[in-house]
Amino acid sequence: MEFNGRHIVSLRDLSKEDLLKILSIAKNLEEKPQPDLLSGFLMATLFFEPSTRTRLSFEAAMSRLGGRVIGFADANSTSQKKGESLADTIRMAEQYADVIVMRHPHDGAARLATEVSGIPIINGGDGSNQHPTQTCLDLYTINKLFPNLIDDSDQLTVAFAGDLRYGRTVHSLFEALLHFNVKILTIAPKGLELPESFTQKATAKGITVTVVETLQEAAEQSDILYMTRLQEERFPDPVEFDHVKSSYRLNARMLKNAKESLRILHPLPRVNEIATDVDETEHAHYFPQAGNGIPVRQALLALVLGKIS
Amino acid sequence: MSAERTRQVEAIAHGTVIDHLPPEHTLKAATVLALPDDQIFIGMNFISKKGVAKGVIKIAGRELNQMSLSQLALMAPEATINIIRDYKVVSKQLISIPKSFDNIAKCSNPNCITNFQNCITKFEVIEKKPLVVRCFHCERSFQGDSLHLR
Repeated sequence: MEFNGRHIVSLRDLSKEDLLKILSIAKNLEEKPQPDLLSGFLMATLFFEPSTRTRLSFEAAMSRLGGRVIGFADANSTSQKKGESLADTIRMAEQYADVIVMRHPHDGAARLATEVSGIPIINGGDGSNQHPTQTCLDLYTINKLFPNLIDDSDQLTVAFAGDLRYGRTVHSLFEALLHFNVKILTIAPKGLELPESFTQKATAKGITVTVVETLQEAAEQSDILYMTRLQEERFPDPVEFDHVKSSYRLNARMLKNAKESLRILHPLPRVNEIATDVDETEHAHYFPQAGNGIPVRQALLALVLGKIS
Repeated sequence: MSAERTRQVEAIAHGTVIDHLPPEHTLKAATVLALPDDQIFIGMNFISKKGVAKGVIKIAGRELNQMSLSQLALMAPEATINIIRDYKVVSKQLISIPKSFDNIAKCSNPNCITNFQNCITKFEVIEKKPLVVRCFHCERSFQGDSLHLR
């Protein structure tokens, strides 16, 4: 499907071919930077809730392609505070910019924005629903580490750990991986397990999902260990949270018998779930993963603005 | 029809009879479908020929519009609609499930943007039996009859 002028709201809107195209263009832009590609274009970043990585990496991506950026990073400084509707804010922003990147605390906000916008909307996170550019950069990172992912020649084992019930990055990456030759392992605290519907989707595609008991087991059996943060508000009992938090802490000792090629990813911010001694190991890959946000977001901007087809 | 059969709900000369409603949704359906001046008869927990409890609503003097049919499809997709003229059933039909339900229900996800902004809701049908719909905006799925009508 043509990317020029298209909105990027949900992983549901992206086919396998779309994902492969994004990965391939991101690779080209990383290898051969094009500092003037988006010269003359303006991106509006409408961040109705705080974000560090997503906003900074979109702004860096646009700047490094020669484009310019306007926007806000705090809804309190906008007319939303005065009661302006989201639709009106979008209609206003489209008069000024060529593309809108937005984050909003409510699920479905980016989809609503597409109903009134004549310029492409890129979803930088809508509540607990979607964060498609994070999934693209996760996929790009995995493919850079294991290029056999996209040609399906070798089976890759990906383990997901942490809050698998509510974590939007887990859900989106899980769905994206179902396009490829993978085996999936999961490990989650009681009550935060992967919803059954995801396992059913994988099974329907012939992909096995196995539950493992310990982080060490997950690390030893996988090529990619995708860690996520546990959120205290998901636990009704703070004592239970403290208990689970300590049992979901990956440290360097647990990686002693892991494959040499194992890489640990995390959408960040990490809090307690990865001890800092893991940072010193060759397995830690979460910071380079965040860095991959630049070429991936450059690819998306160039595609929706019609500068690369 | 047996001559001895006792009519449990008043007969109507002209109008619409909605039959085979789930008993638990009958009152809700009557409240949603009724216009202020409508003459309505409601029966609940009748036993159908198949021995299943059901509800019946009779609306005198009018047929349902498209909006009402969509609301009914969401609440009670298994119901049947009979059109009555001169005390006779002139047509009997099952409810047809549309591809999507536009602006008739409220999203049950409290964090859905549609609950904060003045906008049209849309639910895409992803399964017909049992009816499962997905909010076009927040992408959450719900059982059709669990949604609150607008």
